[in-house]
Amino acid sequence: MNRSFAVELALRYLRSARRDAFTSFLSAVAAGGIGLGVAALVVALAALAGMQGVLRDEILSRTPSLAVTVAPEADPFEIERTLAGQAEVESVQRVIEGRGWVLGAGTALPVKLLGHQGAPPRSLPGLAPEARPGLYLPDRMATRLGIAAGEVVQLASARPSLTPLGPRPRLLTMRLEGVHTAGAIEEDAVVALPIERAEILLGRERASRFYVFTADLASALALAARLPALLPAASRVETWRELNRPLFLALTLERTVLFVAVSLIVAVAALALFSDLQLVASTKRRELALLAAMGADERTLRRAFVWLGLILGGGAAVTGGVVGAAAAWALDRWQLVRLPPGLLVFEALPFALRPADLAAVVGVTLALTLACAAYAATRAARLVPAEALRA
Amino acid sequence: MSVAVRVRGLCKSFRDATRTVEVLRGAEFALEPGEVAAVVGPSGSGKSTLLHLLGGLERADAGEIEIGGRRIDRLDAAELAAMRNRTIGYVFQFHQLLADFTALENVALPGRIAGRSGAELRDRAAGLLAEVGLGELFDRFPGQLSGGEQQRVAICRALLLEPPLVLADEPTGSLDPASGSVVFDLLLDLQRRHGTTALVVTHNPELARRCARILTLEDGVIRSGNL
Repeated sequence: MNRSFAVELALRYLRSARRDAFTSFLSAVAAGGIGLGVAALVVALAALAGMQGVLRDEILSRTPSLAVTVAPEADPFEIERTLAGQAEVESVQRVIEGRGWVLGAGTALPVKLLGHQGAPPRSLPGLAPEARPGLYLPDRMATRLGIAAGEVVQLASARPSLTPLGPRPRLLTMRLEGVHTAGAIEEDAVVALPIERAEILLGRERASRFYVFTADLASALALAARLPALLPAASRVETWRELNRPLFLALTLERTVLFVAVSLIVAVAALALFSDLQLVASTKRRELALLAAMGADERTLRRAFVWLGLILGGGAAVTGGVVGAAAAWALDRWQLVRLPPGLLVFEALPFALRPADLAAVVGVTLALTLACAAYAATRAARLVPAEALRA
Repeated sequence: MSVAVRVRGLCKSFRDATRTVEVLRGAEFALEPGEVAAVVGPSGSGKSTLLHLLGGLERADAGEIEIGGRRIDRLDAAELAAMRNRTIGYVFQFHQLLADFTALENVALPGRIAGRSGAELRDRAAGLLAEVGLGELFDRFPGQLSGGEQQRVAICRALLLEPPLVLADEPTGSLDPASGSVVFDLLLDLQRRHGTTALVVTHNPELARRCARILTLEDGVIRSGNL
């Protein structure tokens, strides 16, 4: 008899509730709902984290670590030397970007022109590592235009040339070297071509842009902080984080929405817990009045019901967390959720349980449980003993 | 240990949807330390209400209640709870044991509420149960005890912390006459041995006569007298 009286009372009422069929059913619904909600939330967040992690890595592997833009008057070779001379840098690729059209099959399709030094940038997926310099179109566009590798393609620039006969579009005819798989949406379709050819279309006076690739993403951020001091004043340095800002925002938003949506299950279960505690309080009203007559104050009775709620809800939350974590581990370990081959970059849905996610889920659930239990407990404890004894 | 009880001008009314019922209209009486008194009166005359007010289970509309020289009508909720725990032992008519606790645990409840625990509390509870002949039944739950046994457990519980005042509301009301008589004698015997002040509400004139003093509650006021 050395336990806190409030805890002892909570445990007795828990045992008592199990004996009453209806109260027991309500308690099971509340605890089951909380446990199920927590497990579902943990598994869903693990699936999302796993999927997002793979997609993020895939996208980042195709994104330059840094994109540096310098004014047209800057010496691109000097800039390139400066960038390549930094310890973190693995490679530097000068590019120019502009808008244009691909002409063919009686139509002109708008594209983003990407002129590059050396081999095509690795930001274009679907290219072999040893892809030779040349003209590369999105595969869907090539299909639509009916053009195959080795055939001739005509490109037009949005920037006209001034001739004695007036402005005329700049045209360039090239042999198609191959296709890449980026740019499923037409507006984002990227046409890659050697920088010398791109300058014919876009002009030499265009601002120079450099793709910088570093050994890892963290060192890119450190380098980005240092670069402005090394580059001409009007230069602009964008990190992989800024280059993919919409994507990262979308991923964060996706996680938040999922968390809120699945948390509603837990919220509903917590309300069921509130109803359950109210039922226990209602059936024990006379006993509570007797305890009050013996000197139990409002605080003691309130604590007993908070403990009852925490034992039920907290136990369910912890159990749900353990079950969810185990399920996520098993689903990932044995690759139980298979996907159609070729649809995504992975064939089985990856699950990555992050301790912070688990802690957040269990923490939010415990907070919800505590809030519901505290409200129910306050109502239960706020009784006039004489009224309860008369009833 | 015992206390003096002083009640002056005690008023209490209840309101329902259509009317206000004045139950107590300036009730006044006093008990000396160690005195035992019976409160009698017709049904609905306010006997239980008087006990509830004395025990701080509800508030009076007006009047003064003094227990051991302390005005309990001026105490806040927490002070009232502490006062109930240390100063008053209650015995009610029925349904007064906690179903989820054994006889021994029920007796020990006021001690647990007071924050006590351990062998001393257990021995004290067991000793009281033995005093009323329930030494063998200490681990039974209320559902496994007869009505008379339950009342004896309740009396033990009321006396556990040796409160200076015992309030008993129809302690034999739910028992057959023979059992009621035994329980009533037991209550008076314990009251005498422990030296507490006691106020016992009863419908039974014969049981009331066993008390040193009888207070008759009529029309909301106390009239002392013998039956």
